[in-house]
Amino acid sequence: MNLLLGSIIVLGVMGFMGALVLYSTAKRFAVEEDARIDEIVSLLPGANCGGCGFKGCRDFATQSVAKGSLAGFRCPVATKAVLDQVAKVLGVESIGDAERQVAVLRCNGSCHVREQQYEYEGPQSCAVIDNTAVGTRGCWYGCLGCGDCVDVCSFNALRIDNDTKLPVVDDKLCTACGACVAECPRHLFQLRSIGDKNEGRRVWVACSNKERGAMARKACAAACIACTKCAKTCPTGAITISENLAYIDYKQCIACGECVAVCPTGAILANIPHREVKLEKTESQA
Amino acid sequence: MRSTFKIGGIHPPGNKIADRSIELLPLPMTATLPLSQHIGVPAKPIVEKGEHVDRGQCVAENSAYISAGLHAPISGTVAAIEPTVLPSGKLCNAIIIKATQEEHDADTAVRELYWEKVNSRIPEFSLCDRYDKSEIIKLVSASGVVGLGGAAFPSHVKLASEKVTTIPELLILNGCECEPYLMCDDALMCAYARNIAVGIELMMKASGIKNAVIAIEDNKSEAIKAISAAIVSREGVALRVLKTKYPQGGEKQLVEAVTGRRIASGALPISVGVIVQNVATAFAVWQAVATGQPLIERVVTVSGDIPAEQRRNYMVAIGTPLAELPCERPPKCRSLLGGPMMGSPVVRYDASLMKGSSGLTILSGEGRKAPMQCVRCAICVEACPMGLEPYLLSTYGRLRMCDEAREHAVADCIECGICSYSCPSNRPLLDFIRVAKQRSRK
Repeated sequence: MNLLLGSIIVLGVMGFMGALVLYSTAKRFAVEEDARIDEIVSLLPGANCGGCGFKGCRDFATQSVAKGSLAGFRCPVATKAVLDQVAKVLGVESIGDAERQVAVLRCNGSCHVREQQYEYEGPQSCAVIDNTAVGTRGCWYGCLGCGDCVDVCSFNALRIDNDTKLPVVDDKLCTACGACVAECPRHLFQLRSIGDKNEGRRVWVACSNKERGAMARKACAAACIACTKCAKTCPTGAITISENLAYIDYKQCIACGECVAVCPTGAILANIPHREVKLEKTESQA
Repeated sequence: MRSTFKIGGIHPPGNKIADRSIELLPLPMTATLPLSQHIGVPAKPIVEKGEHVDRGQCVAENSAYISAGLHAPISGTVAAIEPTVLPSGKLCNAIIIKATQEEHDADTAVRELYWEKVNSRIPEFSLCDRYDKSEIIKLVSASGVVGLGGAAFPSHVKLASEKVTTIPELLILNGCECEPYLMCDDALMCAYARNIAVGIELMMKASGIKNAVIAIEDNKSEAIKAISAAIVSREGVALRVLKTKYPQGGEKQLVEAVTGRRIASGALPISVGVIVQNVATAFAVWQAVATGQPLIERVVTVSGDIPAEQRRNYMVAIGTPLAELPCERPPKCRSLLGGPMMGSPVVRYDASLMKGSSGLTILSGEGRKAPMQCVRCAICVEACPMGLEPYLLSTYGRLRMCDEAREHAVADCIECGICSYSCPSNRPLLDFIRVAKQRSRK
């Protein structure tokens, strides 16, 4: 009995002393942290995608509290309501209704329009192929199709289409965090307005080939050959051509789809299902 | 005991199976000259479309401090100056020259006469006395000579670097040719040993270096015999036979094997008082000074899994399409520009040979095996001649961890391919190290 009591007392005293040490240390070395940081972190989506330009959601919160305003901050994932709440916590005005963006792929070179030129047996990584040689499908600017972009997407918004072997962006899941834009070794992704002003419709040139018409066409049947038909057709003058490539300014575009219809190669896409492009037998390049 | 470098290295099968004699490959009817065949700024074209050019005429001049000119390998008309494919399938601006049948026949006659003359005359060492330092450098620069070992660094820059104030003490001539299959330097040393020796003395005079060492691996007995006969009683020039080991032809490895000095990370051989040049470059320097022929031809080895009589060394005009090299490619083969360890894949056979192309290697066989998990056996670490950790760097490359890769000296990798070659799990180590290297540079 004595033994039991003795142990309890000894352990109890040791525990109490330990608690004292811990308590005093915690008091003495406590770091003052703004309570708002935790509050903001709990509000933010917690995806840690880096789309805001900071290291993660907590960094966003720390930086915004330190600055005391939301000017210059953006979170592509959070909805307007969430950002309003964040602004309320900070006691500042909301950052306004930022235009929602989405990633678009500026390449339509599916395996139906570009012939396979050689067999590749190295690692399935776009970065490796781009370092070694031109892609198996021959275009110097086009998609390599190994899905490095799919690997870096934190939101499962990208997948490689089985039929076209091109990445497909899911508009609903894409948050425009920009991870794929940074990853693609051929810089094929661009962030574009999701097209709210045009009832969700948007039109873009799905080609990045900067070579002249004949050469571009030789590499890919769906290449932009800079024929200027689209620029002439466009009712709002939103289309400009530079470096043998058409570009649609989405601020002026009204998504009427005229250019999609006149493009002879099918290089202009709208957010409607992939347009069928007939594969003409291109000259053998072997 | 024959010396070699200390860290890492392997002994892949040499496969030096090509014929050692050099055959003149017929001139092409069309020659394509990419403007960027060397390290540095691309050459600037000085001819226009439709202009007639003669064989050996300068068609593009060096446009910057580190750059080299280009010369027409055939007479003909400039058909175009436009983006053209390289053997890797990528694009580069190029001058395309097309010849008519008469021009072609005339060129062929001139060329045969030229090589007959070179083969029949014994080159004189007294040639060096006729030119002074600046004249030699001027001739080398005007002839567009670049390092012919593979990196294609403009030679005149190395010989008279403005940035180096002290004169280096040793010139090392790289005759190692450690890469399997390739025999172009070996063939050149056997056939033109004395020309190379004169070229070396020209280089010594141009750079003011007093001593030169020709380094040859001990598996090239004929080249050793030929070179030692050529440099008999020449002061300051010595022959050094090295123990065969891959990658002895790497600049840093070679300097260590010959002098025992180790070059610091990121530094050049000049930091330990050494300049390294390839033996083929010495021959090109001799040609430029003695005969006035610019760098428009080079020796190329065609070897690999092709019929034995086709494994040969050719004297090829630069700009010749790869398809004109006579070889029957077996179905499902892999073609490499260069050797099997460091060569780059050939995707387009209509692309042309360049100054830095030392050979075309055709490999059949099963190729790459499926990669398995890394078992942390550290064979790659042991074999890496730069003392790096390939398994780690490759992972950094795969996971895009650029800062970590930089900390682990990824920039020191010489891309010799030993890590991928020796990995028992068939992991594509070098592929991802290249990614790490490229991304950490940004």
